[in-house]
Parts: sequence; structure tokens; C-alpha cells
Amino acid sequence: MNYVRPKGIPELLDALQKDGASIVCGGTDLLVKMRRGLISPRSLVDVSRLDALRGIEEAAGEIRIGAAVSENEILKSKVVIERLPLLAHVLKRLAAVEIRSRGSLGGNLVNASPAADSAVPLLLYDARLHLVGPDGERWLPIDEFFVGPGRTALAAGEFVREIGVPTPPEDARFFYRKIGRRRALVISIASLGMLFRLNGGAVDLIRVAAGSVAPTPVRIHDAEGILLGEALDDGRIREAAQAASRAVSPINDVRATATYRRQVIGDLLEHFLTQASNAD
Amino acid sequence: MNLQLMLNDEAVSRDVDPCARLIDVLRDELGTKGVKEGCGEGECGACTILLDDAPVNACLVLAAQADGCRITTVEGLSKNGELHPVQRAFADAGAVQCGFCTPGFVLAAVALLRETPNPTDDEIVDALAGHLCRCTGYRKIVDAVRLAADEMAAGAGQT
Repeated sequence: MNYVRPKGIPELLDALQKDGASIVCGGTDLLVKMRRGLISPRSLVDVSRLDALRGIEEAAGEIRIGAAVSENEILKSKVVIERLPLLAHVLKRLAAVEIRSRGSLGGNLVNASPAADSAVPLLLYDARLHLVGPDGERWLPIDEFFVGPGRTALAAGEFVREIGVPTPPEDARFFYRKIGRRRALVISIASLGMLFRLNGGAVDLIRVAAGSVAPTPVRIHDAEGILLGEALDDGRIREAAQAASRAVSPINDVRATATYRRQVIGDLLEHFLTQASNAD
Repeated sequence: MNLQLMLNDEAVSRDVDPCARLIDVLRDELGTKGVKEGCGEGECGACTILLDDAPVNACLVLAAQADGCRITTVEGLSKNGELHPVQRAFADAGAVQCGFCTPGFVLAAVALLRETPNPTDDEIVDALAGHLCRCTGYRKIVDAVRLAADEMAAGAGQT
């Protein structure tokens, strides 16, 4: 197995042209898959110390986080703590500190686990991904990035350079819950997040996103549509919760049944909306 | 490749396969057998080392990724024949049984106390969340970290 450590983007693009090349960053997913024999790359292209994929900066209403920035580095960023509190909340609870020291935000996304913890907050923030490939660069909404379990919209030889996260309105409120069998190092059974704002008694900003209940992390537009522009009464809340339950497509696995997951997504949304309506 | 490390405050270099796992280089080439392999997948924390002061699972790092870095293993904690306060606290609190998981727990605790000298129990539990112990249970390990924090604070007050 070859090892390449590109010094810039042109070198990285070249290295990715080689047959069997795979990017390695924190290695917290890749090395596990290699050990289990699920993948056997011919060359490992190490971006963990590549400056072009590092750094956190605020630009034009969004915070740009380099794909190779580790989860712990993100947690130490003042701008993330202040402007993206839900992302900080979720990353603080991702795996364990030893994993967060190495694991990168870009890695968590390209791995494309339906349970990727960072995906739900990034879906709520309407984040976009800066992709660079042999044919040029593009920005892709995160909603279009995940294609299936372990599959993304990345083309051959393309990589994620950074993640652009629009800063949410300061009066928007966030709700989030991850369901797992224990608190530490757990792969979620289901997770649900909601961004919400009430204006003059009606919902004027609503985004709902879920993890571990579909082939990819998903926005639940059906529930959002029922809530947007409406007042929150018990009937409306129940209708949105039922729509969320219907919209997801969970599976049975070792962690939980599909029926449980479908139920818990509706229950969580009902709980969030009830909390939101009581607080106002 | 020629791998250069500052291992436990000593400059070392070895010719290694860049794609070798750091844990294998540390154990088999450099003799720091305090780095234990439990699961090999980042679930158990037995192979925890400090890489540029950050706790990491040595089973999930490529040798080449550590090139030029500082590494602390459990062998590097004692100074002049004196145990590190965290090591002493683990012994004093009875937080050790078979000992296999101990180096990882100790290093995670050292990293925690460096950043958070007076942690709450919740902070201790969070910092140790990536570690499994199959002998003692965790109560005495949390007690040991608490004890180490108190003794390090008392020690710092004396100087």
C-alpha cells in the first residue's frame, strides 16, 4: 500500500487519479473498514495536515470549516461555540475524545453513515459542501450530498474541501435528541433535530432533520410543510408528528426495530413542538 | 519511510512502512509495550497515547501521520523514578485490577487534568467514555482521577 501526503490541491487531485486511491484523514472510520477487510485501498492519500483543507473562518454570513478540521478543533472554535451552538452540542457528544481528536467533519460526512452525528445539525443549518474535482469546483447543498448508506454525490477524483454553514437567525431555536442504548460511544438508534421560530403566533421558520431512520440522514419536508405559516395547536402538532413518522423509512437492525424508530421520530417531534409552543 | 518522533521526550527515528499502524510501530519497533491493543477499532481505549498532547487511539493512526509529532505513552509519565500523580492515584484508589486498560485510562486522565485541573464527575466520565475496563468497574477509576486532581492541586499549592 502506497502512502502519499500531498502538499496542495493540485497534488491531491493528481494523487486521487490513481487507481485504488483513497483519502485518509483522521482514520477513525477508514482504518476500521480496512481492518475488517471491507476495503483495501492501493494508496492512502493523507489530507490530515493539508492546509488547504484546514481552518475555520467566517465569510459572507456563513462559517466555513475545512473538511480536515478535527471535531475537537471545531469544539475549541469560539465562532462555532457562539454561532453554531447545535453543531458544538452534537460534536461534543460524538464518540469519545480519542476519536474526536482525530476524526474530521469532512470524514464524518463522506463516510455517509445514515447515523452520522454531524449530519443532522448541518441539515438544519442548510449547510453546503465545497467540492473540488478534476473538472473544477462546485458547491452542493448537504441535502443533495448523501445518496445512500456509505454513498455520496462525490464524483470520481472529487473531494470535499470545506463545509459552509450559514449562521442561523439569532432568534431561531434548536431542539435535538439522540436516542441510543447508552450515553458514550454509541451509534444512534434515531436522532431528530428541529430549528424553529415563531413570529406573531405563526411558525415562520421550521426545519426538521433526522438520522438513523432512512438510507441517509434526511430533512423531513413533509412535516415542515404542515407547520410553516401556521399556529401551533395540538391538532397541528399531532398532524406534523404523524407526517414525520410516515416520511421516514427506517430498517430493523441490531439496535432497534423499524416500528420503534418510526414511532420515536413522531414522538420526538411532538415533544419538541409542545415544548416550543409552551415556551412562547 | 524514515519516521521521526519525539517519543517520551526522546528523539527517535525508525525506517517503517508509512501505512503501518502507529500502535504496531510503538510496540514492535520502539518497545513501548504499555500501548495495549484491545479491540483495534477505537472502541476500548487500551491503546490511547498522547499525540501532540491530544489523546488518540494508536490503533487508528498511520505511522506516517505521526511523523514529526510528540508522543507520550505510559512509559513517559514517571519522572526520576517517581510515578506521575495520576499513576499514584490509580494505585492508591485501587483503580487497577488486571491492569490491561490502565495505561489508556491513565493517559486519558492526564490529558483531562492538563486542560481541566478541577473536573466535575461528569467531566471525568466524559473524558473516560472511550475506555472499557472489564475488571473493576468504573467507580474507583473516577475516584482515582478525582484524587489525582486534588493531589495535583495540593502539590501545586505547596510550590
